[in-house]
Amino acid sequence: MIETTAAPFPTIRVRPWLGRLAIAGSLIATFMALVWAPTDAVQGDVYRIIYVHVPLAWLAYLAFFVVFLASLGWLWTKRAWFDALAVASAEVGVLFTGMFIVAGSIWAKPTWGVWWTWDPRLVTTAVMFMMYVGYLLLRSLSTDFARRATRAAVLGVIAVIDIPIVHLSVLWMNSLHQLPTVLRAGGSPALDASMGMTLGICVIAFTLVYFAFLAERMSIELERQRRMFEARA
Amino acid sequence: MNALDRALLIAARELAAERRHPDGLVAALTFTGLLVLMESLAFGPGQARQPGNASALFWIAILFAATLVASRSFDRELEDDAIDAVLVLDGGREALYAGKLVAITVVLATVALAAALLSLVLLDLEVALPGHLVLTGALGILALPPVIVLTTLLALRVRARVALVPILSFPILMPQLIACTQGAAAALTGDASAALGWAGITAAFALVYGVLGLTIVPAAIE
Repeated sequence: MIETTAAPFPTIRVRPWLGRLAIAGSLIATFMALVWAPTDAVQGDVYRIIYVHVPLAWLAYLAFFVVFLASLGWLWTKRAWFDALAVASAEVGVLFTGMFIVAGSIWAKPTWGVWWTWDPRLVTTAVMFMMYVGYLLLRSLSTDFARRATRAAVLGVIAVIDIPIVHLSVLWMNSLHQLPTVLRAGGSPALDASMGMTLGICVIAFTLVYFAFLAERMSIELERQRRMFEARA
Repeated sequence: MNALDRALLIAARELAAERRHPDGLVAALTFTGLLVLMESLAFGPGQARQPGNASALFWIAILFAATLVASRSFDRELEDDAIDAVLVLDGGREALYAGKLVAITVVLATVALAAALLSLVLLDLEVALPGHLVLTGALGILALPPVIVLTTLLALRVRARVALVPILSFPILMPQLIACTQGAAAALTGDASAALGWAGITAAFALVYGVLGLTIVPAAIE
C-alpha cells in the first residue's frame, strides 16, 4: 500500500534558509576562487575552473547516490515522498552532470588542446549522464504513479553501480585525465593548502545550492502528488 | 516444485515456443548477419579485419540482437496475457526472470555462434588463442541477458518500449561491452593474460547483475 500521509521532507521550513545560505556560500566561494586562491604555477589562471568542475563532480555523485537511497526507501516503505526525493535528486543530478561535462570540456581545451577526447573518465561520465536521462525518460513514459515509482526505483538502484566506475575509471584504465586529487586512496588531497581550502568552500557552497534546488523541486513534486491523491480520493 | 524447477519450466516453455515459431531467433540471426556485413563494408575490409574492430563489430551486433530476442520473447508473453498467469503463481516473478534469462541466453548463444562463424569466415580472421576466445565469448553471452531482461521488464507496458530498452540497458552494459570486446581482441592477437583478465571482469559483471536482478526483480514486476 502506498503511504501518502507521511510528513513530507522538511522543505517547507528550511527552504528559504537553504536558498539564502546557498547564495551567501556562492558569493564567498566566488570571491575565494577568483581572488583569494593563488594562481597555479603550471596552468596559470585557467586552473581556477577546478573550483567549479570538482564540486560539480561531487554533486553528480551525491545526487545519484541520493536517488539510490530514495529508491531503496520507496521499494521498502512505499512512502510517496521517497519517490519525490528520487525524481528531484535525479533532475538536479542530470543538470549538474551536464554542467560537469561542459566545465570539463572548457578546461580540456586549453590544457589538452581538445574539447573532447575518448578518455575513460569522460566517456564513463557521459554514459552516467545518459543513464540518468534514461531514468527520467522511463519516468516520463509511465503514467500510473505506483508503477512509475517502482520502475524508476529499480533503475535507480541498478544505476548507482556506475558511480564508482566513473570515479575509479582513471585508475583502472590508461587515462589522460589526472588521477583523483581529493578523494584518493593515498591519503590527504594533493593540493596546496589555500587551494584546498578554497576547493572545500566551493564544495560546501555547491552542496548548499544542490540542497536548495532539491528542496524547491521536491516541494513541487510533493504538491503534484498531493493533488493527484486528492483527485483520486 | 522448488524455485529452480519453476525457472527451468519457464525456460523450457520459452524454448519450446521459440522452436515452434522461431521468429525471434530468425530475426536476430538475420539482423546480426546484416549488421556484421554492413559494419564491415562501412569500415572497409582492411579496417574491419583489425582484431579490435572485428571484436567490437561482433559484440555491438550481439548487443542489438540481445534486445531483439528479449523484446520478441516478452511480446509473446503479452500477446495473450500469458505473463499474468505466471505472475500470480507463488515465486512466479523470480521464476519468470530466471527462466527468461536461461532461455534468452540459449537463443543468444545460438545467434552468437552463427555470427562468430560469419565474422571468422568473411573477415578471414586468424585466431591465436581459440580456447580463450571461446571463454570470453561464453562469458560475454552470460553477461548481457541479466541487464537486458531486467530493463525489458522495467519497460514492459511502457510506451516506446522498443526505444526505451536500449536507452536503459546500453549505458549499464558499457563495462561488459568493453570487457567482451577487449577480451576477444586479446584472444585474437594472442595476449592470454589480457584475455583472461577481461574474461574475469565479464564474469564479475555477469554475477553482480544476475544476483541483483534476482534480488530486485520481484519489486520490478507489477
